[in-house]
Amino acid sequence: MILAVLVPLLIACFIPALSKLKAKIHTGIFVFFVPFIIFLYFVQFVGNDFSPQIEQYSWIPSLGINLDFYLDGLSLLFVLLISGIGSLVVLYSIYYLHKSERLGHFYVYLLMFMSAMLGVVLSDNIFVLYTFWELTSISSFLLIGYWHFKERSRYGALKSMLITVFGGLSMLGGFILLYVVTGTTSIQEMISQVDVILDSNYLPLILGFILLGAFTKSAQFPFHIWLPDAMEAPTPVSAYLHSATMVKAGIFLIARFSPIFSSYEWFFLIVSIVGIITLCWGSYMSVRQTDLKAILAFSTISQLGMIMAMLGFGTTIAVFAAVFHILNHATFKGSLFMIAGIVDHETGTRDIRKLGGLATFMPITATLAIFATFSMAGVPLPFLNGFYSKELFFDAGIQLDNSGFWSQAIPYLAVLGSIFTFVYSMYLFFGTFTGKKHLEQLPKKPHEAPFGMLVSPIILVLGVILIGLLPNMANAPFLQHAAEAINGDTEFYKVKFWHGWDSPAFRMSLVVVTLGIILFVTRKRWQAVYQVLPGKASFNKVYDAIVANMDSVSRSVTNFYMTGSLKTYMSLILGTTLVVSFFVMFVSNGFTVSTDQLADISFIEIAVVLIMIIAAIGTIYMNHNVAAVLVLGVVGFGVAILFVIYRAPDIALTQLVIETVSVALFLLCFYHLPKLRKSTDSAKTKTMNAIISIGFGALITMVAISAHSSRWFESISDYFVENSYKLGGGDNIVNVILVDMRGLDTLFEIAVLGIAALAIFGLIKNKKNKEAE
Amino acid sequence: MSNLAVLPIIIPLISAVILIFFNQKVKVSRALSKLFSLISLGTSSYITWYVFTNGTIILETGDWLAPYGIILVMDGLAAILVLTTNIIAVACAFYAPNAGLEKRETFYFYPFFFFLITGVSGAFITGDLFNLFVFFEVLLMASYGLIVLGGGKVQLRESLKYLLINLFSSMLFVTAVAFLYAVVGTVNMAQIAQRVQEVEQQGILTTIGILLFFVFATKAALFPLYYWLPKSYIVPNPVISALFGALLTKVGIYSILRVFTLIFVHKTDMTHEMFIWIAGLSMIFGVIGALSTSNIKLIIAYNIIPAIGFIILGIGLLNQDGISGSIYYLINDMIIKSVLFLLVGVIAYVAGTSDLRKMGGLIHYYPFLGWLLFVSALVLAGLPPFSGFIGKLLLLKGAFEQGEIAIVIIGLITSLLILYSVVKIFINGFWGDKETMAELPKKSTKGLLAPVVGLLALSVILGVGAEFFYPHIESIATYLLDPEIYIDSVLKE
Amino acid sequence: MEIITSILAGVLFATAIYNILQKQLLRIVIGTALLSHGAHILILTMGRLKTGQPPILTEGISDYTDPLPQALILTSIVISFGVTSLLLVLAYRTTKENNTDNMEQLRGNENE
Repeated sequence: MILAVLVPLLIACFIPALSKLKAKIHTGIFVFFVPFIIFLYFVQFVGNDFSPQIEQYSWIPSLGINLDFYLDGLSLLFVLLISGIGSLVVLYSIYYLHKSERLGHFYVYLLMFMSAMLGVVLSDNIFVLYTFWELTSISSFLLIGYWHFKERSRYGALKSMLITVFGGLSMLGGFILLYVVTGTTSIQEMISQVDVILDSNYLPLILGFILLGAFTKSAQFPFHIWLPDAMEAPTPVSAYLHSATMVKAGIFLIARFSPIFSSYEWFFLIVSIVGIITLCWGSYMSVRQTDLKAILAFSTISQLGMIMAMLGFGTTIAVFAAVFHILNHATFKGSLFMIAGIVDHETGTRDIRKLGGLATFMPITATLAIFATFSMAGVPLPFLNGFYSKELFFDAGIQLDNSGFWSQAIPYLAVLGSIFTFVYSMYLFFGTFTGKKHLEQLPKKPHEAPFGMLVSPIILVLGVILIGLLPNMANAPFLQHAAEAINGDTEFYKVKFWHGWDSPAFRMSLVVVTLGIILFVTRKRWQAVYQVLPGKASFNKVYDAIVANMDSVSRSVTNFYMTGSLKTYMSLILGTTLVVSFFVMFVSNGFTVSTDQLADISFIEIAVVLIMIIAAIGTIYMNHNVAAVLVLGVVGFGVAILFVIYRAPDIALTQLVIETVSVALFLLCFYHLPKLRKSTDSAKTKTMNAIISIGFGALITMVAISAHSSRWFESISDYFVENSYKLGGGDNIVNVILVDMRGLDTLFEIAVLGIAALAIFGLIKNKKNKEAE
Repeated sequence: MSNLAVLPIIIPLISAVILIFFNQKVKVSRALSKLFSLISLGTSSYITWYVFTNGTIILETGDWLAPYGIILVMDGLAAILVLTTNIIAVACAFYAPNAGLEKRETFYFYPFFFFLITGVSGAFITGDLFNLFVFFEVLLMASYGLIVLGGGKVQLRESLKYLLINLFSSMLFVTAVAFLYAVVGTVNMAQIAQRVQEVEQQGILTTIGILLFFVFATKAALFPLYYWLPKSYIVPNPVISALFGALLTKVGIYSILRVFTLIFVHKTDMTHEMFIWIAGLSMIFGVIGALSTSNIKLIIAYNIIPAIGFIILGIGLLNQDGISGSIYYLINDMIIKSVLFLLVGVIAYVAGTSDLRKMGGLIHYYPFLGWLLFVSALVLAGLPPFSGFIGKLLLLKGAFEQGEIAIVIIGLITSLLILYSVVKIFINGFWGDKETMAELPKKSTKGLLAPVVGLLALSVILGVGAEFFYPHIESIATYLLDPEIYIDSVLKE
Repeated sequence: MEIITSILAGVLFATAIYNILQKQLLRIVIGTALLSHGAHILILTMGRLKTGQPPILTEGISDYTDPLPQALILTSIVISFGVTSLLLVLAYRTTKENNTDNMEQLRGNENE
């Protein structure tokens, strides 16, 4: 299995080399064999006696991240879809994409996606699953942006990435919580600990996180908005990622975690309601579209909603129907996308208003389309697979426990959604292939597609018919295993075409068909109805507004405080430090005053201190450069005098020297700087500045007094006094400390001076250079 | 072998001094600095290996016993950070000759560069709080030297703000050290820790701790103290921005990590819980900043802030997963930030502007550059299997274990927005019509991308090969969570 | 006396910060100088004042003032001096290049 997952990635590495040959051989031909061989490999597992397979490799075991692959019925269904549809899509793309396109890029992304998708459905490890999950988002981003010179492509790519990565991250949150709660990273082991999870306080959060991941990926209401814009991707991509596989990853996730959540009532409520709403919304929106691919995109949204709803129901019949419909949807929707691609390719437009009457030009395509659209519409004919799963869906809806409001509403909503589905399916077919021809509006003269392009849709449509004719063929060896993986039921469900006139599901189908036909025929009169919703508050607009606001709000927020003004920055920094420090000091009872251990006070000290204070305050009011420097000098020399008084001869000397040099430097510099001016700040600013500075001064004083009052330990200095001569060989203890005990400080202090000298030299030299220029 | 501990400080110091003499000979300077950075990298690799096999190296400088002399403590944390620093140094030394420094190379660029490495390594290694201040000054002074290098108007202006704010926080640092000395009578970190523990961090100690926190937080550019950072980081040459982005703020956050796992760990309801809030706010405001601008350099500079937020989150959580996550994220971020600064430097160079609104379609001319940026964006956002993911996973797990749900949600949303802010450069700058920048002269990126590729590869290895690294990180976290080990190994009791 | 010097340090910090919050570059530079004076006074105070003789070993004297803070101050003074000198030159150069010494006019904008 690991090979199946990693081979596409490995092959992708060779694609750039192979794409050099594209003049002779279309790169897609090489690529085709990758999914095809994977498909053949996995087909062998199909059979009545299938049992789950496990393959484990350690990767980062200490974090619980291991390449554990688990193949059960559910994974098998998806693997076969991914590789099967994948093969057909690659085959189709060989004819769809001209050799002049950047084929290398296209196939690298496609193979990357294939790996990722196989990884998602085969991983048993939540973090590996997440890794592949994000890789599908990334490759989808690149594929949607494949024609990135188009503005719409860039928009769609970004939108899909933002929404799906958002969901992915949310899912990651859920996964980490599950890991924390269960202590395991294996999904199967989690399933065996269902009770632990259901008892956890985090259960609602876990469910919410994971559902968000699934809903965004599977384009459920209201996150569906990315899917229509994703249609900017080349059509093979739409057929593959955005209808058959990637968008079903969310479905897969729900199915995978169903054994854990199914007994949690919110799971039923949220998943089925969101699913049903998506079904109705998607099909309603689809009717008003005019672009073939947009119709199909909304149709996909609605069909995904239907599958989602069935998984939410969780009953035997519903789960089976869901699995069945995953398969059916892949066949008819895959072929429809390819047909839309063919129409686009051969006529040059996808605008259904310009199309019409193509059946005479493209008879084969039209034939295929009739099967696919009728199957999608759920027309009750025994050779259309769509009908079977839709009727199962109705059945499942009716059989719900009829207690709550939603359980009762669901069958009605299901019918409503299906009516719209019927309408757009008919419109899709009849609007394109019958009716008036508008040849003059078409960019190209329409003709039948080359045979190669038709192969893939033909195979898919044959699938539609085959499943329709023999609906139970795949059950026992294949679908039943998938359903079993979801709900554990081994009961074999038999699909029948005919349930009798009195079967409620059949009556619902009849209602759908009857009303559908009426609505379709009188479609023109209802145009206005389809335009009513969603009006101005569409979710697209919400998204656009969020993105636009993100830019503008972030800009205004940031510009608000990032003013470039040093004063603002300093005020904010000081203010925060001040408030928090005072708060902490208050809360922790930090402020203490003790009058023990105080040195005595002499007159001369007081005098010096007073002079210094006056001088310090004086610096604020001095409006003359030299005066300001002199006043500053008074403070500096005051410090030196205090050092003398406090028996620190070395630093007193140093201070004197440094102060003298500094004053000289200051004078030199101040001579060149503009004259001091009177402050022009407003009274308010002045008060603010005063509050901050006095507050900070008070903070320093208070902490200093408290620190002095809490001398709980002997200083290590006694050691220095004792050993200065003995070990250091010097009488001057400070000197011994500087050059010996803390010599490292001194070494780097000199380094600092040296660097400063170099920097100053650089600044001045730079000035000279500039002047020379 | 205890002398090993001083080598990461001494080798760059000597290199810097030697390079002063070859200042005018650019070619010699370039060759020598490549050589020296490689020697330094080799040494620190050996030291890291040695520390992980034989345990912490304690060097009592001048043979003055702890706690009296200055002690260098090369433990696992210091060793890996020094190693990462040297890896980045090598990348920058190889990038610098092509970085378009021109004349500035002769304004002592290389000596400043090595002085910076000296200061950064020293800060990681020292076990003495005052000595930490001295190393801070070394690296700051070197950074002043670098930031003003050949400066024009804008550069001088931003340098001035940068210098003033750092000067203030340095003075506050000394003051806080003095306060601490008054209470516990020592400046040796192990002994401070021991004594603070003895009195259960009562009274004024917590307030002093908070003051120290603000000193480091200003250097680390945490909310709400980061205002100085974005502009001043983007004005110098990209290679200097890369050094700053990768190393300077990280020294600040390292100091918080050290001080608040070793010394002030007894009143976590006041300190560490506040860190979690700060983490959330740093993430939000940082990423808002990144979204607010169309200047590609500024986008990256702002992205420093949420990353620091993630790292402080782990410190705030103070549990095994949180601390491991912080360290992993720290290393990841050092590497990826230098990658991104170097990359946007190249992009701005080839596009002739840093304004995203004036770019487009660059991928037609510089495809490799574009893909490097794309992968870097994924690494930065913490998508698996890259190294950012491992750190983020651990941090979020740690937060959940502590019941901090809100911060996880903020973290997840921030990750998305980080991705958006950088992918924006890819979409608007690289995607688009071939014609947008057709008249632009095609410039050579020779020699600029190799160091970036190397660093990026390392970041991928750190993620994919996490099994090789994580157990070491985990052991460091265990070690940090038990301050006794540090105290005992330094004070030998 | 320690309390008085603590207050002195507080005043020095306060005046320093008030100066730093001004617009004119010269005042800001003055502020930084005051700041380092405040810090140094504080370090000395934190080592207790006048507990003995100057820390130079002399026969017959056993009480000395705490030598460690003095060593720390010395280091700090030298470093501050380095920074201040650089600051002065930088301030001078910035003023000349930008033709203003008003920090409020040195804000700049986004795309430079």
